[in-house]
Amino acid sequence: MNKATQFVKPVSYPVLILVLFLIPLFTKDAYLLHILIMTEINIILASSLRAIATTGQMSLAHAGFMAIGAYTSALLVMKLGLSFWVALPLGGIASAVIALLVGYPFVRVKRVYFAMLTLFLGAVIRLIIMEWRNLTRGSSGLLNIPPPNSLNFFGLYNIVFDSKVPYYYLILVLMLITLLFLYRIDSSRVGRTLLAIQQDDSVAESIGINVTNFKVIAWCVGCFFAGIVGAFYAHFIKTLTPDSFGVLQAIYVIVYMVVGGRRRFYGAILGAFILTLLPEFFRILKEYQPFVFVGILLIITFFLPGGLADLPKLGASLVRRLKGPSVTHA
Amino acid sequence: MSLATFVQSILNGLAAGWIYILVALGLTLVFGIMNIVQFAHGEIYMLGAYCSYFLIKFYGFSFWIALPLSAFLVGLVGIILERFFFRPFRGRFEPSIIVAVGLMLLLQTIAVVGFGTDTKSMGGIVPGVLKVSGVTLSWDRLIAILVGIILVAALFLLIKKTKTGQAMVAISQDIYAASLQGIDVNRISAFAMVVGCALAAIAGSLMGSIFSTSPFMGTSAITKGIAVIILGGLGSITGAVVGGLILGLIDGLVPLLLSSTMAGIVGFGVIIIVLILRPRGLFGHE
Amino acid sequence: MLEIKGLTKHFGGLAAITEFDMSIDRGEVVGLIGPNGAGKTTMFNLITGFIPPTRGHILFEQVDITGKGTHAIAAKGIVRTFQQNAFLPDMTVLQNVLTSCYLHPKSGVWEAIFNTPGYRKKEQNALHHAMEIIEFLGLDSVSDELAQSLPHGYQRLIGIAIALSASPRLLLLDEPLAGMNANEVNETLVFINKIRSVGTTVLLVEHNMRAVMKICDRIVVINFGRKIAEGFPQEVKRNKDVIEAYLGVGENAA
Repeated sequence: MNKATQFVKPVSYPVLILVLFLIPLFTKDAYLLHILIMTEINIILASSLRAIATTGQMSLAHAGFMAIGAYTSALLVMKLGLSFWVALPLGGIASAVIALLVGYPFVRVKRVYFAMLTLFLGAVIRLIIMEWRNLTRGSSGLLNIPPPNSLNFFGLYNIVFDSKVPYYYLILVLMLITLLFLYRIDSSRVGRTLLAIQQDDSVAESIGINVTNFKVIAWCVGCFFAGIVGAFYAHFIKTLTPDSFGVLQAIYVIVYMVVGGRRRFYGAILGAFILTLLPEFFRILKEYQPFVFVGILLIITFFLPGGLADLPKLGASLVRRLKGPSVTHA
Repeated sequence: MSLATFVQSILNGLAAGWIYILVALGLTLVFGIMNIVQFAHGEIYMLGAYCSYFLIKFYGFSFWIALPLSAFLVGLVGIILERFFFRPFRGRFEPSIIVAVGLMLLLQTIAVVGFGTDTKSMGGIVPGVLKVSGVTLSWDRLIAILVGIILVAALFLLIKKTKTGQAMVAISQDIYAASLQGIDVNRISAFAMVVGCALAAIAGSLMGSIFSTSPFMGTSAITKGIAVIILGGLGSITGAVVGGLILGLIDGLVPLLLSSTMAGIVGFGVIIIVLILRPRGLFGHE
Repeated sequence: MLEIKGLTKHFGGLAAITEFDMSIDRGEVVGLIGPNGAGKTTMFNLITGFIPPTRGHILFEQVDITGKGTHAIAAKGIVRTFQQNAFLPDMTVLQNVLTSCYLHPKSGVWEAIFNTPGYRKKEQNALHHAMEIIEFLGLDSVSDELAQSLPHGYQRLIGIAIALSASPRLLLLDEPLAGMNANEVNETLVFINKIRSVGTTVLLVEHNMRAVMKICDRIVVINFGRKIAEGFPQEVKRNKDVIEAYLGVGENAA
């Protein structure tokens, strides 16, 4: 079995990426593309939330940071006339800066307090958006946000954002960059350090790891990517209301992450993928969708706490037990 | 700004403050005994409000009957929650948060689907106002403050004077030592949950009666409750009272001087400052 | 190497440590003993920066480290073990020690992200370093086992391995022999000797008196937060105050 996986693994990722790039050539169905775009948005959200969770911190403010990126980008374009391509990274940076401002007091408290603080922070962000009517038009929301500026390559090829296709490619590229960055961190010594902090931050501290700094970095990085995807979202959906960024949305992201499984890197991706697509198959249940979600969440929490990503491991140990005692093991 | 406006704002702030205190007390009680942050506490508060609403509107009960009745019924819900959702994960940080947060989503959706998204009104508690030297004080708000003070005093007595109360203190200090002393941790946890939920239900009923009831009222309740606890310190009743009063007064007075947004921001700022100086909150231990 | 002068720590109204003076020379193995609650763990926490002292100074290689943060002190070369065990229970021993090879060699976050050749070389070095420590402590036979599946004695060794991976100049061992049988104790003492022989200084908190007498060059005795005796093992054993401190509870001393 090892030989097979060793061969399949390095080949499968480029193939998968290639397939993702080729999809719009085979279908121009706007609805399907929209679903895929939303899936990829959720994948970025779940993965960036996981980045924060690798140090053991549970953030309930992720939707709030998405909102910061979204409104920042939209307002920079609409009020200051900046190009989307400048506003997008600035949206991410705005989120990261806010995260940094509250970062040090936040990470120094116990995990319980951190979770509570992020809930509160998310509420404050939403409150500010709702009340700063001059800027954000409050609960009426920002309307008619312009699409990304057209891109012109060498005077020959022109990309205009007038259909779902260019948005699809943009979010695909953003997702791949995000995942690559987060994956590299996760599988490097930085990731090991974060894992150590999660397991026991006293021990980590005692061998020279600056636990506070790492927690703040993980927090800011996670919030940065939430901001980036928020900025994309703003110019994709073209309408922003504070209600889209409340604690309920933050809970959804947590559900994606937990159902998929927090330990493995691909767990968050898996969770976001399945839970974004699932409602599409059961569209009749749209109103009852939260029930289904909570049901799945509870089943996972009770019976499969490691999330769906734990299934292969569970399956393997089941197979091993069925096979009986063996001479060698990996 | 006249004295009347000033006093009314203080009254509003204090009334809100005592309602927050009731919410925060439930949260802090559950945390002290069961070591979890019951994020769905706001939804319990909301359920209490709806329960009173239905008791008043459909069964014709008066507010004073509906209040304890809804506290009782919601308390029963609390027993179920504790037994089936929180007990299996006692002591484990992450699953507890996940379950609490999942319940938040669940209960809010039940409310939206079951009761509709519009706000409902159940009529005030006691109509009319009290006039004292030219200042108009609404009875509703005075009653809210009174109920809050009575309940806090009752809770205080419960903890200091009864065996159950002492058991709760013991568990909050050292759960293993407490169980070694023969304290039935499960029973006391269930009790703490019931008391917490009852307090939330009463708070919700008060708020729903004075202002209005909606499926989304729980979110602001949990936010305020958390703010109070962070300020006052988890596990401390005194902290909940002091924190609630401070935040209530900020919410009452700041809108006069600045704006209501600034009230939220000032509150947040105060909390951050306290956190930097005292990461455990004003009265928090551990 | 380590100098402690007038160290005092108050917790609220309680004086946990009072006017404590101590010094440790390079290459020594010093034992810190005392009855339960005497303040040994507090001393460890003070030296490693987990808690700041109320008064007094701690100097490490002539540098004042009083009140500095734990990770900064670890970076200067003081590392401690804990009474609990390895921190990645469901990873292998190798992964455990590798995870803690953080300080040496050090590399930047961006290097890691871009997987530069420099980074890869440092990873190789870290792996090398981890294997060295594992062999040094005789853990190579179990290096691929899950940490939590190993017996207690091994888990303590993993704790020591983790501390060693930070290349300490002064190693603080917190009750390394607790819960060990006679064989395991002897094996661990051999390792402590090995650690001493490569030039690492050791400060040891232990209750196992026989082991302490065997392995320590000098012993410091603490009771109620004060130093009550200091000197060579044989001297301390015969010291009246020490005997009283241990006998004072009414039980036989070690």
